[in-house]
Amino acid sequence: MAHQDNHPITVMLPEQSLEFSFHEFCERGEVHGEFVVKLVNYGVIAPVRECVKSEWCFDLAALQRLRKAQRLQRDLKMNLPGLALSLELLDDVNRLEREVQQLRQQLRQLLGE
Amino acid sequence: MDFKDYYALLGVSESATAEEIKKAYRKLARKYHPDVSKEADADARFKEVGEAYEVLKDPEKRAEYDELRKYGQRGPGGFEPPPDWQSRSHFGGGGYTEADAQHFSEFFEQIFGGGRASGGFQRQHGHRMRGEDIHARLALFLEEAFAGCEKQVQFTTHEPDPQGRLPPRMKTLKVKIPAGVRDGQHIRLKGQGAPGFGQGEPGDLFIEIELAPHPLFTLDGHNIQLTVPITPSEAILGATITVPTLAGKVNVKVPKGANSGQKLRLKGKGLPGKHPGDQIVVLQVVVPPTQSPETEALYAQLAKLESSFNPRMKLGV
Repeated sequence: MAHQDNHPITVMLPEQSLEFSFHEFCERGEVHGEFVVKLVNYGVIAPVRECVKSEWCFDLAALQRLRKAQRLQRDLKMNLPGLALSLELLDDVNRLEREVQQLRQQLRQLLGE
Repeated sequence: MDFKDYYALLGVSESATAEEIKKAYRKLARKYHPDVSKEADADARFKEVGEAYEVLKDPEKRAEYDELRKYGQRGPGGFEPPPDWQSRSHFGGGGYTEADAQHFSEFFEQIFGGGRASGGFQRQHGHRMRGEDIHARLALFLEEAFAGCEKQVQFTTHEPDPQGRLPPRMKTLKVKIPAGVRDGQHIRLKGQGAPGFGQGEPGDLFIEIELAPHPLFTLDGHNIQLTVPITPSEAILGATITVPTLAGKVNVKVPKGANSGQKLRLKGKGLPGKHPGDQIVVLQVVVPPTQSPETEALYAQLAKLESSFNPRMKLGV
């Protein structure tokens, strides 16, 4: 049965502020640090900056990408170069699809449909 | 219970070799992987082919499945395994290499059983571990994103039962979405993820906002774009026109000599936030569908006056 909490929860928009230390990033992603280093070296994810004691810091987008990389690697048995290429191509496809969708909508408006 | 035809799911024949099964699975896994496919039922299809492969790749399980396929009853209530059916295969001990056991169907559970009780979900007592983060999606209308709203978010979490297992549990939260969230933006509900173990703190719930396309407005980050039709006389002479925005109607001054495609910026009329977006009005000159004889006569006069203007000069004609 679904649990229902009737008190609305106030949320925060993390994009401006939420950053994870290298340790926290590995813990949240449930991965070994070595794998994260490899993903950074292959350009799959990128740290936002170096924070405390020259340690890398990652944002939420990097965490999402890490999880996606894990799923693709586990499910499709991809190696790291393949993973890097696939994620780049998927990003391109998503961007182009968004653009096509916007342009189609503008075209419909221009044609008065 | 419905019978699952694993051969049909992978698109292979009953006599397919292990290599053919692997090939078919790999192709379908690429096609339906939820991170790759845009098909609405990709997630369900991916789980189905994963389940089919889990059985057919293993000669022992495949033999059992073939046996069932041959002798199992298909009664009025759906498929029933033979009364004395007991699988010889065991799925415990982290044997799920291609798919997650908890996602397998009732059919699979009935036939091969025991998957959910596998050791993979158990965590050691006395060990401190942070709870898992949960990621969910929430679809909003543009108006809701603009004004902020209160929504119910439903997601599945795994919470320990007295036996130390982690059965899936559906949870619903009422969430106050702040005004100005963007498409693809994540909001975080601290501590609303899976519970931690030992003294470990709970994980967070991350919700990805998905904005439904609006019939009039398009979004570009924080800016909102709207195409606004104007008449040829409004374009030439300039005019003050009424334009809709998400905050209500506003009057906008169209400059003299305006053209199709020209953009006017309504400062601060986009999505709200620390740095509010703008509304971009794209003008579109529209010719009235019918002309009266008087209008035609006046246009004929105009045509003589603008004979020196060649709008097709760049085309070399």
